[in-house]
Amino acid sequence: MQLVGVDVGGTFTDIVLTDTDRNLTVIHKVPTTPDDPSKGVMQGIYELCERNDLDLSGIDHVMHGTTIATNAVLENKGARTGMVTTKGYRDILHIGRHQRPQHYSIMQEIPWQNRPLIKRRHRKTVTERIAARGEVLAPLDEEEVRVAARELKKEGVESIAVCFLFSYIGPSHEDRAAEIVREEYPEAFVTTSSSVTPQFREFERFTTAAMNAFVGPKVRTYVTNLEKSLKDGGLKADLHIMGSNGGVATAGLVADRPVLTLLSGPAAGVLGGAWCGEVAGRDKLITFDVGGTSADIGIVTDGRFGEATARDTWIAGFPLMVPMIDIHTIGAGGGSIAWRDAGGTFRVGPRSAGSEPGPAAYGRGGNFPTVTDANVVLGRLSKDNFLGGEMSLDEEAATRVITDFAKELDLGVHDCAEGILTILNANMANAIRSRTVQKGIDPRDYVLVAFGGAGPLHGVAVAAEMGIREILIPPFPGITSAVGLLTTDHKYDAIRTEFQVQGDVDVARLNRDFESMEKSLSVQLSDEGVSDADVRYERSGDLRYLGQGYELRVEFLGGAINDAAIETAWEQFHAAHLKDYGHNYPDTPIEIVNIRVTGIGVAQKISTPSMATTERSQDLALVKTDSSHFRVNGTLEPFETAYYLRDNLPLDEDIVGPAIILQMDTTTVVPPGATARADQTGNLFIRIGDAT
Amino acid sequence: MTATKSAPPTGDNRPTVDPITASVIQGALESIAIEMGYKLMRMAYSSIIRESEDFGAAIVDIKCRQLCESKQSTPLQSGPIPGYIKGILRTFEARGETIAPGDVIMHNDPYGGSSHGPDVLFAVPVFHKDKLEGFAATTAHHLDIGALSPGSCGIVDAMDVYAEGLQFKAIKVYDKGVKNDMVWHMLRDNIRASHLVVDDMEAQIAAARIGAERYLELIERYSIETVNGAADALMDASERMMRNAIEKIPDGVYKATGHIDGYENSDNPKEKNLPIVVTVTVEGSDITVDLAGTADQIDLPINMPFEGTVDVAIWLTVRSILVDTATFGHVPQNSGLTRPIKILAPKGSLANPNFPAPVIARFAPGCMIADTLMRALSQAVPKQISAGIGNLKVIAFSGLANGQHWVHMEIFEGAYGGRSGMDGMDAVDTLYANTRNNPIEDIETHLPLRVDRYELRENAVPAGKWRGGIGAIREFAFEDSGGYSVEGEGHLFKPWGFQGGHEGEPADLQINPAGGEPYYLPSKLPYRAANTGDKFIAVGPCGGGYGDPLERDPEKVLDDVLDGYIDADVANADYGVVLTAAMEVDLAATARTRKERSAA
Repeated sequence: MQLVGVDVGGTFTDIVLTDTDRNLTVIHKVPTTPDDPSKGVMQGIYELCERNDLDLSGIDHVMHGTTIATNAVLENKGARTGMVTTKGYRDILHIGRHQRPQHYSIMQEIPWQNRPLIKRRHRKTVTERIAARGEVLAPLDEEEVRVAARELKKEGVESIAVCFLFSYIGPSHEDRAAEIVREEYPEAFVTTSSSVTPQFREFERFTTAAMNAFVGPKVRTYVTNLEKSLKDGGLKADLHIMGSNGGVATAGLVADRPVLTLLSGPAAGVLGGAWCGEVAGRDKLITFDVGGTSADIGIVTDGRFGEATARDTWIAGFPLMVPMIDIHTIGAGGGSIAWRDAGGTFRVGPRSAGSEPGPAAYGRGGNFPTVTDANVVLGRLSKDNFLGGEMSLDEEAATRVITDFAKELDLGVHDCAEGILTILNANMANAIRSRTVQKGIDPRDYVLVAFGGAGPLHGVAVAAEMGIREILIPPFPGITSAVGLLTTDHKYDAIRTEFQVQGDVDVARLNRDFESMEKSLSVQLSDEGVSDADVRYERSGDLRYLGQGYELRVEFLGGAINDAAIETAWEQFHAAHLKDYGHNYPDTPIEIVNIRVTGIGVAQKISTPSMATTERSQDLALVKTDSSHFRVNGTLEPFETAYYLRDNLPLDEDIVGPAIILQMDTTTVVPPGATARADQTGNLFIRIGDAT
Repeated sequence: MTATKSAPPTGDNRPTVDPITASVIQGALESIAIEMGYKLMRMAYSSIIRESEDFGAAIVDIKCRQLCESKQSTPLQSGPIPGYIKGILRTFEARGETIAPGDVIMHNDPYGGSSHGPDVLFAVPVFHKDKLEGFAATTAHHLDIGALSPGSCGIVDAMDVYAEGLQFKAIKVYDKGVKNDMVWHMLRDNIRASHLVVDDMEAQIAAARIGAERYLELIERYSIETVNGAADALMDASERMMRNAIEKIPDGVYKATGHIDGYENSDNPKEKNLPIVVTVTVEGSDITVDLAGTADQIDLPINMPFEGTVDVAIWLTVRSILVDTATFGHVPQNSGLTRPIKILAPKGSLANPNFPAPVIARFAPGCMIADTLMRALSQAVPKQISAGIGNLKVIAFSGLANGQHWVHMEIFEGAYGGRSGMDGMDAVDTLYANTRNNPIEDIETHLPLRVDRYELRENAVPAGKWRGGIGAIREFAFEDSGGYSVEGEGHLFKPWGFQGGHEGEPADLQINPAGGEPYYLPSKLPYRAANTGDKFIAVGPCGGGYGDPLERDPEKVLDDVLDGYIDADVANADYGVVLTAAMEVDLAATARTRKERSAA
């Protein structure tokens, strides 16, 4: 079977093709075509097939990661969107939780007020009301819905969200209203809040539905165009699109619920990192994906990802209630700018020089001291070997900006450069701590998988900061996301709000609900062409102590649920609460807030790589030796440092630090006291301390 | 006689740690406070903590300086923490008692640093090598603290602090690691809805213990000298930041007066229409805020603790204007920022009452101090302020279900005034309060209450070149019998307009009793019984306008008409904007009208 993974980034479109029968994997990179990204995608697939003498029609599946929806939100360029909502509640989207985003600010912006997804003029109210247990307080006035739909059509609205209170427990009014809107205005993109995310908390749910409507038309057009281009181009492959939950879904589903893709970019990175770890036989991984402006951190334990809690997910300042991999993103990367704040404190990031003009070392007029410049000054980035030699670095400019900044701080140039890295690394370590130590996980049991353009530069230092002893650098650190696309399964989520309390649980209802959720997932998966034998379901529940406001995820086993299974869930919840928060309440009753099922259709994956039989030895790999600065036993000093080409490194042979390992898409730093070793799986391992 | 709250001696010690280590330690401290806040909020039971986020978390060093605070918390909760700790230390000293490892100390004394009684602090001392080096502490607003009527808001008829509920003055709830069961029995027996309150207290202790553990790890990693040195550097940097900002203000004296409703229906003239007077003196990089002229203290609980409420209201306002996050980016909050600010308030005034004057309902009056301070500063930094801000209100709903109390405190939002280049923020919590509302779907699922409406006001938009923020209407109905009490402000006085902007709109509250006629309720109302079907209509205030309405971009006026905030007649009357039948701006007619109006 031939699978293609296509990841469209801001600058490049990365393409990976794997042939599972021949155990062959090839990669290619083309510039992204921002006006219509499908052009770049097609061109990339053509070129890749041509170069490798492959037949386009032999491709079975195309797995695609897209940022169309994400960019529409970040650039505030979505559709003109309308809303039909319950009379009396026109401004839920505008008032939000009545909290200001910033405590200490008069001149702040409130995203949902200053740049609303749906303007008030397009928010129509209709008579209807469902109560807390799903009972009808006021029946739906269908005529008012018709009038609203006609008005919205007249106002030039292209997309409509139907959002009623308590629809998560009683969706009938929303469903009927959506039907009427479609009758009146068939061309419109129509969505309901209960179909997007049937969970309580009206502001967050309505916002998620509004977001879905806001990006809907754009994504639908894009997906339709891309499917057509693939077909016209002679491909017979199915198109699948990556979701924020770490699975792929059909193009059709994504066209209907584009909100599911909003944070899919970093999700693919975590999957790619996880796969590299798995291939190397490591089951506890921290993925560390560092680019020019941000670092994404994910935790993978025994092949499972953490999932973000519904209330921790935000985009462009808006809350989002969709299932997604728990990824912690901070503004720290190669382009992060070092600066002094108004009180004189030394800071690094979150502002970044980006790629234009970029760090001073890029020689494009960048004038701020950045992390990349610091790496150049310390000799960790080599002026002639950056990006495989395709781009030369302006060492003089880097030295100038760091020297100027060092003077402001009254520091030596090398001390200042190292300080920039120390502060950046500490910020990144704090981010990792928030997902490990703070959640009862000991990071020292984990391997740090460092990738992205800047991950391997900082991986060892960050690991050392956390007490982590092993670092893994994947074979192609720059295209880990594209690789990740080829490691996914088909994945669909269902969720239902229960509000059932310990001591009074309706077990029959739980069983009924789980079964009906699995049934509907099974339909979706068979539509994908996944056979029943390849499907598995993962059940879980969002539980909390009665009275709390935040839930913790607990697994439920498959099959019929009985009292013993419920007992197990309570015990798991008490344990999870203790682990996550350091405390629990054994005597307080527990409430099942939501139950969830994830339907997973197991898909073919990328083959395990085997290293091409290049000639390899340390001598062959050695490019030069040069001076690079490292701090050992408290003293920062220059070391004679060997620079190697990764492609020629001998397998299973120790490279003792200090060493710098160069490759096309990244540079790996092996400081004194660490040892690197390339292995058969294409991974590079670095150990800190006791070299083996 | 005047109480002086003077800044501690200015820092600017020679730094003992390098700037890199200082920055790294600052990041670590902040991440400790965030973890404390995160865990407290997620463990908490009562909606006032978990949804409204009315809690605080901070690390305080041995000199009682706040090193960091949780950014989820409310300023009025984290800000007072150093004051609480000082109160605890003073109390222990007076009693000749000492603090030992394993202790957990509970404190809520409004004359000993607390903001008011319901905001209970739990402090865990941090010992390093047998020496006390600081505290990790959490505060939270509890549902009930055993006052004369249910809830901990709306106790507006308490005659003194004893009537406001239990007073804890540095009580060890754990003594050298051993739980003091007797105290906990007393709590359970004297507090309504104690199953929630006591579990929330346990959550506070758990979060404070985590903070203490992390702080100790930090000390062990870097040494106490380095951590303290970094703290000095951070405080000095924060102080420098604030001083730089103050220096940009022209030296001078800036004065403003505001009024609070007080008790509208009182026969005693000293209990209503009370003046709040703020005089700001700027000299170089120092600011003095003097509240002389403010009304005398009264025997009702709208007096404000000087330490814990008045100081926080002032720090918050000065910082929000001068070190605005929108301009400065994220600036960690610590005690250094407050060093250049000196606060004076006459002893025996509303802003510096004598024990045992009641203070439990000090929250809305404190917002008026903040707003009046903003008004004074508007003369000095007109582009960094907002016009008058609409004040807040809390209704405490309560009842009995299956023999157990339920209490629900709903905070009703205010609105900001217009700003230079921006309209006011609509329907938000204001100034030192920054809580969240409760989802309607949560309230109705768990309580015998219904929320029948939640929308913005229409045709109540204070005009200005930059219009005032619009208030919200929120309607509540009882689905069972119960009770309620009200604590709020801003029914009688309109938020101030600025530079030609119109005045704002006051708040309003109506009750529509089941089977009766609706009638007006004052902004303060002690506990009353409620029947099934009784309905409340709370109308939020609108902030003042900023600048001449005739200068507002006509397209923005049209937007407000299209969005239903105002109608075409108001567009003409307030803004001189004439709209065509096709709902477009009639530019010629608008220019003409505006010219006539400005000539008039």
